[in-house]
Amino acid sequence: MGNWQRLVWNQRDALFSGLVVTVEICLIAFACAIVGGLLLCLIRMYVRPLRPVAIVLIEFFRATPILVQLLWVNYAWPALFGWPDTFFTAAWVALALQSSGYLAETFRGGIEAIPRGHREAAYSVGMRPMLVFRRIILPQVALSTAPSIVNQFTVIVKSSTLVSVITVQDLMFESQRIVNIWYEPIEMLTATAAIYIIIVFLVSTAGKALSDMLRRRFGIAAA
Amino acid sequence: MSEVPTIRVVDVHKRFGSLEVLKGVSFEVHRGNVVSMIGASGSGKSTLLRCINHLETPTTGDIFIEGESLCFRGDAAGSRAPRPLSEINRMRRDLGTVFQQFNLWPHMTVLGNVIEAPNRVRGLSRKAAAQLGGECLARVHLEDKALEYPARLSGGQQQRVAIARALAMQPKVMLFDEPTSSLDPELTDEVLGVMRELAADGTTMIVVTHEMGFAREVSDRVMFLHNGLIEEEGPPDQMFGAPKSERFRQFIAKYLY
Repeated sequence: MGNWQRLVWNQRDALFSGLVVTVEICLIAFACAIVGGLLLCLIRMYVRPLRPVAIVLIEFFRATPILVQLLWVNYAWPALFGWPDTFFTAAWVALALQSSGYLAETFRGGIEAIPRGHREAAYSVGMRPMLVFRRIILPQVALSTAPSIVNQFTVIVKSSTLVSVITVQDLMFESQRIVNIWYEPIEMLTATAAIYIIIVFLVSTAGKALSDMLRRRFGIAAA
Repeated sequence: MSEVPTIRVVDVHKRFGSLEVLKGVSFEVHRGNVVSMIGASGSGKSTLLRCINHLETPTTGDIFIEGESLCFRGDAAGSRAPRPLSEINRMRRDLGTVFQQFNLWPHMTVLGNVIEAPNRVRGLSRKAAAQLGGECLARVHLEDKALEYPARLSGGQQQRVAIARALAMQPKVMLFDEPTSSLDPELTDEVLGVMRELAADGTTMIVVTHEMGFAREVSDRVMFLHNGLIEEEGPPDQMFGAPKSERFRQFIAKYLY
């Protein structure tokens, strides 16, 4: 146990500061991915002139490996657009881009799964299209895609380990830094894996509970 | 009758690609009347009903709701332009529609479904809308289910909620599109029972149905559609007692034996 104390417990402050960075990046990326994904999805479905643009972006975000995205945003964007200006920003932007591509398709599936009759019933009582979307479509999409959205968060958490490559000091970065001090990787990497497992487990358990609750209450929302 | 008909359908044609589903249908429905539309699948009766509330746009022809054109807006100079969606939405408030598949919104409670449009479209306060919604639910005998979610109700109960939702906009006409076709026989009766009560209260109704008993007992007039045209129409006793057209005779024979 001495090794564990020396290699892991005594390094807890560094690990904790890395964990904070990981959580920050993941939460920001997640929030932006939901907004970005919804925008991409709506443009693809309802804004005819911009539809090809949205499709190209969605497919590009989905088809490129996260490591490529990360390096591309980090090194190409500042030269092309003059932004992002920090590694931290580049990290969450890249994660958000990739997830927004996936979430856009998730949202599209959710919207298309709503029976046409729900819309027709709303039009029949005189509701305007914007009102129908806000009151009838969007809440149902949120309910039915909630499990997939939560799942996407776990993908972000796992992908976020790669941000250490662009020197963002997240949990993985701190873990590797400590390993490289003594070259004794077993305890540290095991502990790091355990922390990621716990995060993902907590998130997916919460997601499962959420979807069970939705199904019980509304009789909708897929597993 | 000199009063303006509640619904006047004038020479409506509807074409989907090369398929002409409605080939020129005209009729009138007066206030308080119950009109049943019957006919085989594919005869165009559902399409006709969907044209009346403009879920389908007629290819040619027009529908008048209390004398006001649904499809066109005329100005003083006599020129006509297609009516914009915003105005069609306003006119749709006067048409309560009940669908074969109920189409309740699953994320709202029963009361939420019923008061959504009175609250958000008509602009009633939540409280006034809830009061109205309670009255509408009482008319379909479901006031005790107000706070349930639709998924917990039987098909017949869901369809009665859908009727209450349509009633809550206090429409001038109720349109029923095969309201019992996806229900078990015993659930069919509870929905038909509510519809009989509405008819007895003087509600103006157009009912697309395969329930010949209902059409015969409750309607003031029955229309038999065949291949996109009204093949025969008249009071139910005359229609069912002494059918004139051969096709209608064949059609009802299937239901009688």
